[in-house]
Amino acid sequence: MIYLIILMPFFLYPIMLSVMGNIQVSQQEKMSAQKIALWMSPQSEGSPVFQLLSKDSSLNIELRDFEAEDLKGTEKTMGIIVAATYQQQLDAGLSTPVQLLWDQSQDILSFRSRSIKAQLDILNKQYTFDRLAQKELTPEFIQPFVVQSVDLSPQEGGNHLLTSMIPIMIFFFIVLGCFQIAIDITAGEKERNTLQTLYTSTATTKEIIGGKFFALVSVGLTSATMNLTSLLVAMRLQAYILGKADAGTMALSLSPIAIIWVIVLVFLATLFIGAFIMAIVLLANTYKEAQSYNAPVMMVILMPAMMAFMPGLELNMDTVFIPMLNTTLALISLLKGSFDLTMLLIVTVANILYGGLALYLASFTFSNENVITGEKVKLKDLFSK
Amino acid sequence: MNTLIEANALSKDFGDFRAVDNISFQVEAGEIFGLLGPNGAGKTTTLRMLSGLLKPSEGYAEIAGFSMAKQTMDAKKSLGFLTGNMDLYRRLNPQELLNYFGDLYETPAKELHERVEFLIDAFGITPFVDRYCEKLSTGQKQRVSIARTLVHDPKVVILDEPTTGLDIMSSEFILQFIKKMAKEEQKTLIFSTHNLAEVERLCDRIAVIHQGKMMYLGDVQGLKTQTKQETLNQAFFHLVKEN
Repeated sequence: MIYLIILMPFFLYPIMLSVMGNIQVSQQEKMSAQKIALWMSPQSEGSPVFQLLSKDSSLNIELRDFEAEDLKGTEKTMGIIVAATYQQQLDAGLSTPVQLLWDQSQDILSFRSRSIKAQLDILNKQYTFDRLAQKELTPEFIQPFVVQSVDLSPQEGGNHLLTSMIPIMIFFFIVLGCFQIAIDITAGEKERNTLQTLYTSTATTKEIIGGKFFALVSVGLTSATMNLTSLLVAMRLQAYILGKADAGTMALSLSPIAIIWVIVLVFLATLFIGAFIMAIVLLANTYKEAQSYNAPVMMVILMPAMMAFMPGLELNMDTVFIPMLNTTLALISLLKGSFDLTMLLIVTVANILYGGLALYLASFTFSNENVITGEKVKLKDLFSK
Repeated sequence: MNTLIEANALSKDFGDFRAVDNISFQVEAGEIFGLLGPNGAGKTTTLRMLSGLLKPSEGYAEIAGFSMAKQTMDAKKSLGFLTGNMDLYRRLNPQELLNYFGDLYETPAKELHERVEFLIDAFGITPFVDRYCEKLSTGQKQRVSIARTLVHDPKVVILDEPTTGLDIMSSEFILQFIKKMAKEEQKTLIFSTHNLAEVERLCDRIAVIHQGKMMYLGDVQGLKTQTKQETLNQAFFHLVKEN
């Protein structure tokens, strides 16, 4: 089980994503090289559009009369209709329509249409600049305002999507790592009748719980670290394979202080998640019953965290006490390179309290005689004398 | 007289149901004490209270002079406990399991090594010592389980139905070992069983529990005399039926 949760994903993600990346690149290259038929209206012969597209060796141009309906049902065939009066319109300084027709349900045609449009855009710009030059005008004439965006965000941090996704991914992998182990060492031990033996030994209840909790947290943290590292490496690898090795997209640079805070928050989140999961699965009487708690537990833990995606939500006095949401927002702010120290301290203290409460609940359940003797645990009996 | 097990007015309630009601007995060093009763009589609950798994609702238990409630660790160090609800760790082999529990009882390393070697030899575990416990037969598992209860060399051993489900050979081995533990090593044993032939053969004294109450405390002959029956089976049946 440890191999499945920790080692396999570590190797699986890079392999999976690099295979996917290679397939994607290969498919794109295939689609780029594959010849498609391009019907053009007879009047477009000699037009700038015809001359431009004739140079594209991946297009089989056929001059013919056709309607849009004629293209339906064809494979790998696009159509361009140029107005018969295109030359007069161009000479008069007017616009001339160029209709590009293709079946969007065919991936190759959608892919190639983008390339054709890009070429037509270049042609359009050439004609526009020529017209302006004739009027002794510069290209700036048609663009009075040149809008420039300047990013003032700190040098540290990373891209918005990445920094928002990483905390959720961390928590997901922690839950993934903790859950199976938690089932095995609680409900699983009850089912296998090995828990009673421990209780008759000189190990105290606190030591038994502590040992199990330590194992749980270790696996949870290791799972999160291995899976996340593997996924980030795999994403960079895929970006490289796809030729989108833009450092800005995948880069994440943090100051030493931010790194320490990230480690502290992730550690505290793991303590809370581990204790919470342990307290819940202890109520299960069998392995199978405990597994059925997986989905609801995951929802309870991840849904508050996913609220961080809501626009405008930030770490403040309204959100700082909500478990999981507070940690997610704190991590996002750290990953973006800006954080409020006071808020971070409050999140830390709150998480310590929540983790302690969850652990107390787990130990309370663990000390119940029905858990010890492997009998059925009833919720009401936990709190009765 | 050296009392190593004392059950004093032990009672246990589960909600409104009184599973064990005012059970008292003492067991001396080197004695084999049989705890008998029909299913659901309260034997296992009594033994669990003696072992510290359950807290008595009333009364107290002492093991080797240590109160199970107040000197729990000392009491548990002196006790080896085995019931039918205890299984072995499937992914350990017998040697690893014995070492693990020896460590749990904080047995010094050198002493533990010698003790494990002794138990492996004494219980004939050598042929399967490297096999995972999940691969062992019922008889082999029971040998390892009993060896596990003795790994820390306790003065007191409680065995709840140790021969249930075993073949004759395995049962005989265990019965002989029980006798040896008591008579040669002076360990104190409580032995719970439904097999009255084993009781007659091994037990110095017995207690009969029925519906949570002590029906009889004394030796086997005394029970036969009291119930005016010739065999222990008849005596037991007569006693339980009367009550």
